[in-house]
Amino acid sequence: MLETRKLDKSFGAVHVTRGVSFKLERGERRVILGPNGAGKTTLFNLLVGELTPDSGSVHLAGEDVTTLPVARRARQGLSRSYQKNTLFDGLTVEENLGLAAAIHTGNATRLYTDSLARPEVREIVAEVAEQVNLMPYLHARVSEISYGVRRQLEVGVALATRPLVLLMDEPTSGVGPEMAKGFHDLLNNLPRDLTLLIIEHDMDLAFDVADTITVLNYGEVVFDGLPEAARGSKLLKDIYLGSWEDA
Amino acid sequence: MSLDLGFWTLQALNALQLSMLLFLLSIGLTVIFGLMHFVNLAHGALYALGAYFAASAAAVGGYWAGFFLAPVAVAGVGVLLYSGLIQRMRKSGPMAQVLVTFGLIFALLDITRIVWGDLALGLEVPSFLAGRVALLGVEYPAYRLFIIALGLAIFAALAFVLSRTQIGAMIRAGVDNDAMAACLGINVERLFFIVFCVGCALAGLAGAVAAPLLSVTPDMGLQILIPTLIVIVIGGLGSLKGAIAGSLIFGFVQTFGAVLAPQLASVLIYALLAAVLVIRPVGLFPAKG
Amino acid sequence: MFRHTPLRYAALVLLASAALFQALTADYFGLEILTEIVILAMLVIALDMVAGFGGMVSLCHGALLGVGAYGYAILSTKVGLTPLMAMGGAVAVTGAIAWVIGAICARSHGIYFIMATLAFGQMGYSYVFEAPLFGGDDGLSGIARLDLSFIGLDLNDGRSFALFCLGVLAAIYGAAVLILRSGLGRSLSGVMHNEQRMRALGLTVWRVKADVFGLSGLISGLAGAMAAQHVMFVSPGLLSWTVSGEALVVVILGGLGTLVGPLLGAAVFVLLKHEVGALTSYWHLVVGMILIAVVMSRANGIFGWIEARFGARIERRAADAVRDIDPREVKTDA
Repeated sequence: MLETRKLDKSFGAVHVTRGVSFKLERGERRVILGPNGAGKTTLFNLLVGELTPDSGSVHLAGEDVTTLPVARRARQGLSRSYQKNTLFDGLTVEENLGLAAAIHTGNATRLYTDSLARPEVREIVAEVAEQVNLMPYLHARVSEISYGVRRQLEVGVALATRPLVLLMDEPTSGVGPEMAKGFHDLLNNLPRDLTLLIIEHDMDLAFDVADTITVLNYGEVVFDGLPEAARGSKLLKDIYLGSWEDA
Repeated sequence: MSLDLGFWTLQALNALQLSMLLFLLSIGLTVIFGLMHFVNLAHGALYALGAYFAASAAAVGGYWAGFFLAPVAVAGVGVLLYSGLIQRMRKSGPMAQVLVTFGLIFALLDITRIVWGDLALGLEVPSFLAGRVALLGVEYPAYRLFIIALGLAIFAALAFVLSRTQIGAMIRAGVDNDAMAACLGINVERLFFIVFCVGCALAGLAGAVAAPLLSVTPDMGLQILIPTLIVIVIGGLGSLKGAIAGSLIFGFVQTFGAVLAPQLASVLIYALLAAVLVIRPVGLFPAKG
Repeated sequence: MFRHTPLRYAALVLLASAALFQALTADYFGLEILTEIVILAMLVIALDMVAGFGGMVSLCHGALLGVGAYGYAILSTKVGLTPLMAMGGAVAVTGAIAWVIGAICARSHGIYFIMATLAFGQMGYSYVFEAPLFGGDDGLSGIARLDLSFIGLDLNDGRSFALFCLGVLAAIYGAAVLILRSGLGRSLSGVMHNEQRMRALGLTVWRVKADVFGLSGLISGLAGAMAAQHVMFVSPGLLSWTVSGEALVVVILGGLGTLVGPLLGAAVFVLLKHEVGALTSYWHLVVGMILIAVVMSRANGIFGWIEARFGARIERRAADAVRDIDPREVKTDA
């Protein structure tokens, strides 16, 4: 579904990703682990097209999308949520989801109808609100909901484009352990055919959702395999748990 | 159309003279922007004020009195503006700043009319610059050569200050990242104040030297504003290199455009600006990459 | 996204009643002022659409108005189209030009967007000023007004023309509200909030910007065609950047992103110009001071101030009747 081949990117003399290759099957849930500065967010930016790799390629559903602009990739089924909330503050939860759903259904540039009044948009909004537990907040403004609910909405907006692959950049960043657990239940309840790629800082939580794990260190893939293998891996402990203490 | 070498030399000198005048105006505006992210549309009005101050002072004490007094007086106006308005607008968005300075244009326009009247004032060129000088096979007015020399001298001085002195290093640090500069112990507010005043003084100087060439009218500030903005946007905001490059491009395109394609001359420079913005949305030599 | 609040409705009703009253009772001079206000109001609605709801602070809307005016003048006097067709043509040409400008400038932001639009506006100004077809500095005269005798309106009569302009303004306001509430309008506000996120969701951002800019151009062109008919004369001064600057001042004075505020701003601005202009020739000084005071006060213009001061109270009272309440949704800083 999503594949990278030897992705390289450097800023000046700093290599942020080196020869990153991995492959996600349809419905696979992969968690990317790695200490701060390991190149995880850069990798996301390369995948969605906010950065262009120096070399290597990105394939989505079998098609090479390396040179496609951000919006085109998104329309082909690649969606992402951000580590910092990127919500539309003055709008309600419903309108936030509606903006994304309108783009997916081709209503975002219509002049004659209000996109939010379209049945296909309403349907997606209701479904996504159900999926990410936003039903009680639909008519609340972003400024009126708590931080944790905003994190749910952040993922919800990304989901409302009905992606094939959803990239989530630390979806639980900044929320307490209790809530993070609930968040992972939420992820586990997403449709099984949705492919997920998740950056996660908290290793134990990562094992809740991951089918497979990729560990990045200094921009390189140092582990790629099943969670059980990762848990016992000496290598992973050395490079990851070392920095874990001070994170 | 005459095609002899002398003609082209003359045009090139004219272009250079226009460029230097624009440089004096744009360097202040661009560094103020680069450092403070403040768009001062009233910069043109300060130039007009400079011309008026120079004309008034020259009427009493001769040309040089105006030449030296105008920058000081305009810097004084800059101090008032800074403490009264601009300091308070520092945290506002670009839109609010554009509008406040737009209001300032209106206000200063009428204030000059109230103080100096609607009639155009003139200013005599000092006697030893009044003649023509033989240069590169042409006779060229000495006063215009003086402007070219002055512009180049100021450019050299600024280049030296910016690249070799401590205050220059502080300014460059501030342009690059003012929060970081503040962390390094640079008094950013004082730096802003100094740069703003120097920018105003240069605008006043530009007004004073332009006064004998043009007639001094209340709307001269409005007329020069657009070319100045074009210069700094083509050149890229915040950099000395951008200001000089933009000034030269504007001066030469304008002057040679008028000679070679009079029909298109005025459209040409705007088309060039549009092209620059499309190809390089942040100008040719922006201070930040 | 634009929302009508009770306060906005109230302001609209008040403004419309005042305008109608003026149109029916005023003398010649009063009608001239009213028409001037109404035509300026058309232009500032177009500008508020892009600046207040899309963050595209344009300094070329004066030029777009000029294109509409010249388009109407040329098509009706030189090409010989009927006034109605000339109006349609002028509006279409202005819209097309605006779309292209919007598409080119879509990548620029902040001060660069302002400068880029300024460049295009000045380009148009210089071109019209120099090209012989447009009559140069002298402009074009002998422009006829629309012939509406078949519905019993003689537009050469000042009162009828003022009423007709009011009707056009009402239609423009309605169209602007519909556009801002459409899918396109919602996407535009999304782009203003967070362009990068909209792109990441799959929106072709430049198209949205260009489309709205083009629609705003259509309205500006219509305003221009009306302006040409009003004074029956066009000159390059219409395209000058100071016209754009004044339109921006009106939008800000009135209240950016409120659509109703700029209408109020247009009335205040024109009245101020005439009242202060009658007392002293230094009306720019007065307008400049007011502008500085308004911006420094950090209120979102006159109407924004009214909304902040009274809006909450009125809304609380009306909250039972109207569910979608609306504290200020638009930031002053575009």
